[in-house]
Amino acid sequence: MQPLFQIRDVSLQFGGLRALNGFSMEVAQGSIHALIGPNGAGKSSVFNCISRFYTPSGGDIVFDGHSLLREPAHRISAIGIARTFQNIELLRRLTVLENILIGMTQRINAYFPFAPGARRNAAERNAVRDADALLERLELASYRNVPAEDLDFGHQKLVDLARALASRPRMLLLDEPAAGLRNREIATIDALLVDLARRQGITVVLVEHVMQLVMAVADRITVLNFGEKIAEGAPERIRADPKVIEAYLGTAGDA
Amino acid sequence: MYGSPSYARLAPLLALVVIGIVLPPLVPQYFLSLGNTLMMYAILAVGLDLLLGWAGQFAFAHIAFYGVGVYGTVLLQSKLGIPFIPGVLIAAALAGLIAFLIAVAAIRLHSVYLALATFAFAESAQWVFNSWEGLTGGADGLRIAPPSVLGWTTGTDARAFPVIAIILALVIGATMYLTRSRLGRSLCAVRDSEHAAAVSGIDVFRTRIWAFVISGTYAGVAGGTFALFQSFVNPEAFGFSQIVLVLSMVVVGGLGTLPGPLIGAVLLGLLPEIMRTAMRGLFVWQELVYGLILILSMMFMPRGIWGLIAARGGRSK
Repeated sequence: MQPLFQIRDVSLQFGGLRALNGFSMEVAQGSIHALIGPNGAGKSSVFNCISRFYTPSGGDIVFDGHSLLREPAHRISAIGIARTFQNIELLRRLTVLENILIGMTQRINAYFPFAPGARRNAAERNAVRDADALLERLELASYRNVPAEDLDFGHQKLVDLARALASRPRMLLLDEPAAGLRNREIATIDALLVDLARRQGITVVLVEHVMQLVMAVADRITVLNFGEKIAEGAPERIRADPKVIEAYLGTAGDA
Repeated sequence: MYGSPSYARLAPLLALVVIGIVLPPLVPQYFLSLGNTLMMYAILAVGLDLLLGWAGQFAFAHIAFYGVGVYGTVLLQSKLGIPFIPGVLIAAALAGLIAFLIAVAAIRLHSVYLALATFAFAESAQWVFNSWEGLTGGADGLRIAPPSVLGWTTGTDARAFPVIAIILALVIGATMYLTRSRLGRSLCAVRDSEHAAAVSGIDVFRTRIWAFVISGTYAGVAGGTFALFQSFVNPEAFGFSQIVLVLSMVVVGGLGTLPGPLIGAVLLGLLPEIMRTAMRGLFVWQELVYGLILILSMMFMPRGIWGLIAARGGRSK
């Protein structure tokens, strides 16, 4: 079967620095695919290429038979890919509900913004109803009208995730969802990811340092180091791979 | 915000229109003149806040679009005989069009670079108003013949007052709807995080351009109201001190809120009057006083007066 998502031989260059070097990766429909590697390995660069914030110097990124490199950043959401951010990019002055409505932008029919109207009422009513349902599901309903900047870190991460889910993505890119969270909160994310992938069929690509989470949920793991793929496979194989151990412990890899 | 404004929020607009119609025969002409000025500043400040406070674009060309609105409305009337309503609409659209061109040219600039580029544009616009003597009369200025609004000749403060009140009510109403719309939320998203906005499907460039166009159009409308109660215009009305004044209104009142620029327009619009009458000796220090107010306000109430009121009332906006 054709994989849902493919990164083909992608290179990314910043001046003299090669952030990614001929990197390839395939993600199967409905799977949870972890992308791991030491700091600076290029994981977030991969996400930023997919989001079209960066343009690779070579290679292609293909989602469902469609090259993403021909699309501008704001089209990626409509194509079916949503993402969260490592250093939460919240809409901080907006309320939790408004953050969700932003995530839904693609799904809200256009209307004339300066005046009342039937189209407007229908579009806004549907959007708010769906947003409230999502808040209910993620147990954020009690924070509905709180500005995002007033929430604690754990809830801010959850709002970032909720904003991403609001577009009803087919594939979700999560950039360190567990970073900075307490164990109990990690368990929540853990359960949520499994629910998204197994019950709702959303394909998940996960960049994460918290190995406990990666090993628990990932179907497949890709390991990046210095912009290149050094290993790929099922969690138990990755755990035992000498090259991965070396990259993380930094013995010979430093050279 | 989302949905539509409630009737409770729209009701004050009806009150504004009623006051606008009832008040003129009851109060002295001086207060009507002051009221017209404050209402015009209110439109100007609300428009600037859409760009600065809601969309987070650090731009200072607002006064130039206001100038296009004034000269546009006046000249369309005097040269082509176009009546006020189509005249102000064309002038505001022209201001919006110029704002569009500025936005496209400056779209890759952010923060202080955007501020400098737009400020340079405002200065050059004032130079054009000064130099294009055949059209604007240059530094000698231009007489404004009393416009006619659907057969109602304005000219005096008393006759302009109801018309400006209606225009202000329409502008505030449109802004209430805008800030509760998909586009209004997109403006805030671009302000808070361009990355989060982009991955949410918002075209960041396009949204920023819309912010400039809308804001410029508001400034054009404010310029049109100027023509309703002033009999004379010269390029001095579009200089640096005016930019600082309107900026102060927005910052002191509260960025990114609707009540904020309205409060700011009233308070800072009254200030020159107070200084001119009650504190005569201090009048020459006017601009220094504005600067002081601006700095103190940013230091001690970064969310402005409305920010303080909203925090006390436990409301977010």
